[in-house]
Amino acid sequence: MEVFINKTDSETTVRFVGRLDTPASADVFKALDPVINDASGTIILDCKEMSYISSSGLRIFLTLRKAASAKGGRIIVKDICNDIRQVFMMTGFLNLFEIQ
Amino acid sequence: MAHKRLLDPHCEMILQEFRDNLPLFKETRAFLDKRLKEVLGEAGLILAALESRVKTEDSLAGKLELKGNKYKSLKDITDIIGLRIITFYTDDIAKVSTAVEKLFEIDWENSVDKRKLHEIDSFGYLSIHYICSIPDFPYRVEIQIRTVLQHAWANMNHDTGYKSGVEVPKRYLRNLNRLAGMLELVDEQFSIIRTELTDYRRRVHALVASGNLSDVPLDGDTFRSYMELEPFDALNKRIAAVNQAEIHEVSLLPYLPVFKRLGCKTLGDVDKIIKEYSDAAYQFASFQLGLTDLDIMSSSIGPQDICIAFILKNGGGRVGLKVMLDILNGESENNEMMAEVIEEQASSLPFMNK
Repeated sequence: MEVFINKTDSETTVRFVGRLDTPASADVFKALDPVINDASGTIILDCKEMSYISSSGLRIFLTLRKAASAKGGRIIVKDICNDIRQVFMMTGFLNLFEIQ
Repeated sequence: MAHKRLLDPHCEMILQEFRDNLPLFKETRAFLDKRLKEVLGEAGLILAALESRVKTEDSLAGKLELKGNKYKSLKDITDIIGLRIITFYTDDIAKVSTAVEKLFEIDWENSVDKRKLHEIDSFGYLSIHYICSIPDFPYRVEIQIRTVLQHAWANMNHDTGYKSGVEVPKRYLRNLNRLAGMLELVDEQFSIIRTELTDYRRRVHALVASGNLSDVPLDGDTFRSYMELEPFDALNKRIAAVNQAEIHEVSLLPYLPVFKRLGCKTLGDVDKIIKEYSDAAYQFASFQLGLTDLDIMSSSIGPQDICIAFILKNGGGRVGLKVMLDILNGESENNEMMAEVIEEQASSLPFMNK
């Protein structure tokens, strides 16, 4: 999995490419450290090129949600594929995020 | 802009004492500001604002220029440090006053409760001004307590320039006083509404606790009280056991409009749906999760799957499911696709064929 972070004045976009599975999670979590520490603005999680998400990946999303909620930020999950949308639904995560 | 004041030597001496002690005033102001916020916070009081300031040199010089002979020393000026506590409700003024009286020694002779000064036919500035002594601090401080509306009125009244020495035409003063009377009524109504709401919540809480759910109308307050009973807890734990999953607790209030849409009028209706559809919701959840190794879920899984089971069992179909998803997630074409998938998955489950 590759993670690309692009920060502008108004928002931070995190682009995930590949599978957010358990082996990838530790590195992804590390890469997202600056985003988690500065979660006061709008954070867009661009999932257009994410093909899979595991429980570890969902935990990373939850950490981002908690950080944004504590700092008055906003998380937008963008372009998730149908399989990941189903994972969100079957775990009760669907209405935890603003999904576009 | 500050302008050069013509002060006599006595007033200059007072002004110099102020300059010499300015660091002490600033330090004391910060301490009092922090201490009051702590004490009032501990008392559970939610304030609109707590403001504090040290009088500016220019403002003090102006005061001395106008009435310097009245003061023997700087200690006679009681508002060098001023704090203003602004409450939302008139009821809270008494609570704040009690806290301030406990915290500081009040110079009652110089303190004013302007609420008590008004005659039955007069309206205007209502506020408490305490002159307080602080241990180990040789000067006194002023603490004002007022509501947001009193504060607004006082500021507007101040803006008319009544203190500037320019006489304000009577018709404006009369209008300001009419406004003061109206704001006093509004302040009183806010307090009454708060008391009534608190009372309503207490009664609802008692009804929920006693289990008389059919008597409790479904609204934001009652649903929140009902959630304290954790009505989805058993189902969530049952679903979590499928994959030994961790449950992440979230607010379930977004489900209030969904239950209303399903026709629930009372908490009894919601309770009945939970009891009748928990097994079906479990079947659906375990069908979905059983083939995965997902070991985290949110506590909204229970209400979500109960609503899905209710909609499908009552002929709502994918249209009903889409409405539910639209309410929860905002309208989207993707909800239609999700509704189709849910309907298809559930169609083969035992609860749909009973």
